[in-house]
Amino acid sequence: MTLEALVAIIAGGLVSGSLYALMASGLSLVWGTVRMFNFAHGALVMVGAYSAWYVSNRGGIAKALQPIGKSIVANGEEAGALGGLLLPLGEWILSIKGGFGLALGVPFAILCCGLVGYIMYVLLVKPFVSKPGADLVVIITTIAGASFMQNGVQVIFGPRYKQLDRILKGPPLQILETAIGLQEVLIIVLTPLTLFLLHLFLKHSKLGLAIRAVAQNDDFAHLVGINVSQIYPLTFVVSSILAGLCGVMLGGLFFILPTMGAQELLFAFVVVVFGGLGSLPGTIVGAYVIGFIRESSAYIIDLYWAPVVLFATLIIVLIFRPRGLMGGEDS
Amino acid sequence: MNGMGERLGIRHVAWAIGIAVFLAIPHVVTDKFLMHLAILGMLYAIVASNWDLTLGYAGVFNFAHLAFFGIGAYTSGILAVKYGISPWLGIPAGGVTAALASILVSIPAIRLRGIYVALLTFACSQLVLLLLLSQPLITGGQQGLTGVPQLQIGDFLFRKSKFAHFYLVGFLLLCSTVFLRRLVTSDFGLSLIALRDFEEYAVARGIPLARQRLLAFLLSSIFPGLAGGVYAHFLIVASPDIFGFSLTTLLLSMVLVGGVATIYGPVLVGVVMTFVSELMATSAWMSDVFGISRGPVRFMFVAVLIVLTMRFFPEGIWGLIKRFSTRARNAQGTATEEQSEIT
Repeated sequence: MTLEALVAIIAGGLVSGSLYALMASGLSLVWGTVRMFNFAHGALVMVGAYSAWYVSNRGGIAKALQPIGKSIVANGEEAGALGGLLLPLGEWILSIKGGFGLALGVPFAILCCGLVGYIMYVLLVKPFVSKPGADLVVIITTIAGASFMQNGVQVIFGPRYKQLDRILKGPPLQILETAIGLQEVLIIVLTPLTLFLLHLFLKHSKLGLAIRAVAQNDDFAHLVGINVSQIYPLTFVVSSILAGLCGVMLGGLFFILPTMGAQELLFAFVVVVFGGLGSLPGTIVGAYVIGFIRESSAYIIDLYWAPVVLFATLIIVLIFRPRGLMGGEDS
Repeated sequence: MNGMGERLGIRHVAWAIGIAVFLAIPHVVTDKFLMHLAILGMLYAIVASNWDLTLGYAGVFNFAHLAFFGIGAYTSGILAVKYGISPWLGIPAGGVTAALASILVSIPAIRLRGIYVALLTFACSQLVLLLLLSQPLITGGQQGLTGVPQLQIGDFLFRKSKFAHFYLVGFLLLCSTVFLRRLVTSDFGLSLIALRDFEEYAVARGIPLARQRLLAFLLSSIFPGLAGGVYAHFLIVASPDIFGFSLTTLLLSMVLVGGVATIYGPVLVGVVMTFVSELMATSAWMSDVFGISRGPVRFMFVAVLIVLTMRFFPEGIWGLIKRFSTRARNAQGTATEEQSEIT
């Protein structure tokens, strides 16, 4: 194997590993705390990508606003005093023809995903959480939720592919004769940073400590005065935001379409089972390991056989460690 | 099983009436589209009621079920398109490959519990999809396998006749339903229920957990495999959409709205639900309200229906019917032993 190939595999492994880590850590967090599994997590990735696109791209909200801006400018001159006030607004609308850019798109995506995550918790999870057999029921309701969101997005935006702007523009980075795109570099750098922020939040903020307390033992968490019924939706919101960030990053790499996220969800499943459900360090280590296995098998064997190799790895791990590499005891 | 003579009689009459009505349908219904929906509905009913065996009776979170259907469709389709093998051999071959796939899935799955089974089986079905998409020369890739030949015997084309597809699929549904009902009321079915409801005790009484679950997977995969083969030749295409969230949701809604662990419920609602969702997709009213993209709206409707069912009628329609009929019987004071109420 040449040096260039090695660099390419490492870079590719880091990119896939980062994306899986962002996604799987959200899944693992919810499982650890609420004891539920969110099959709509992939759809949240898609929601994140679409909402970022809607605000940032010229085909999104900017395009929808143009007729309003035009009519204000056209009628403004005759409307007198009121027109004088509205005219700048109309001109401003016309000036944003190119969209608001990712500087507004990314915060909007975070907001959207957080909101969708909260709504999902209220509608799909909360009514069942205390009933027996809830884990199966919630799988079913979240699958229904995923289908609802996928088809809803198709109704709103149509089935045509979209693409997000790249955050950094410029020629790819040359490392040892191997070209690595700036978007990829950004993902490799930003993901550990995001995960570190998550770590700080869980270890040092009051809410984060409450989440961990509930994850360890919700009865005792209740006893020490933590409002468990507020921690559950909070966990969902945090996990949804992580999925949304993953969507924003994916949207810059590949096309955005209503069924995106499904394949990433599959790999995130492999990651959480591999790393052990509910264990955040296990999940993150698992994500990068799976990322490297995927990239190296794609390079050495064949891109299309990479999932098979991954799957074989997973089954072997499950045979020897049915709760994953770092999975703890299960209730 | 004694003391059921009277009810068995009623049951026979009900079956006879049912079959008579079924045989009469193609003579009464002239609309081609409605007949098409009826055939599609019966195919989905086969898949849904077999899913009930693993999901409902065995209580295994099996999310690879649609993959068995898809494997059946692709097996028969590929054999016919690429190798020119007759559908009448291809369809049974689809049943065999689906059964083999079910064994492969269940070997790791029976070692695991609860949520891990759901993750593994879901991953398995997506893996099948990835493999199919990765070989576009054989499977047609994203567009699906087109040009699957129609069913025919000699010069007789099934598509030309109003009856042929309908009776063929109806016969398959009848076989599947009788098979499943026999199965779930047999000792094997009872052992599955025992394992589901009280695993430790059932194992302590000597029920082999791994073997019974493997058998449940295997027995629930054969008819969907056959149905998949017929599906491919009926629609003359095998599409990767079979593995998508939308169809999974639709089939899941048939099992859940029909009633988990009832068999009859998913059969009934399987047919009804197909009509509801397909008519929604094609009705003029829907297109007026939602513009051109009315296809996706029906899946949104199905999704809402699933959540509402889980919330308010977790036992499903058949469960409701049974609860009311039991109550009525109790009111008459003719409640016999609950032994006959094995479901």
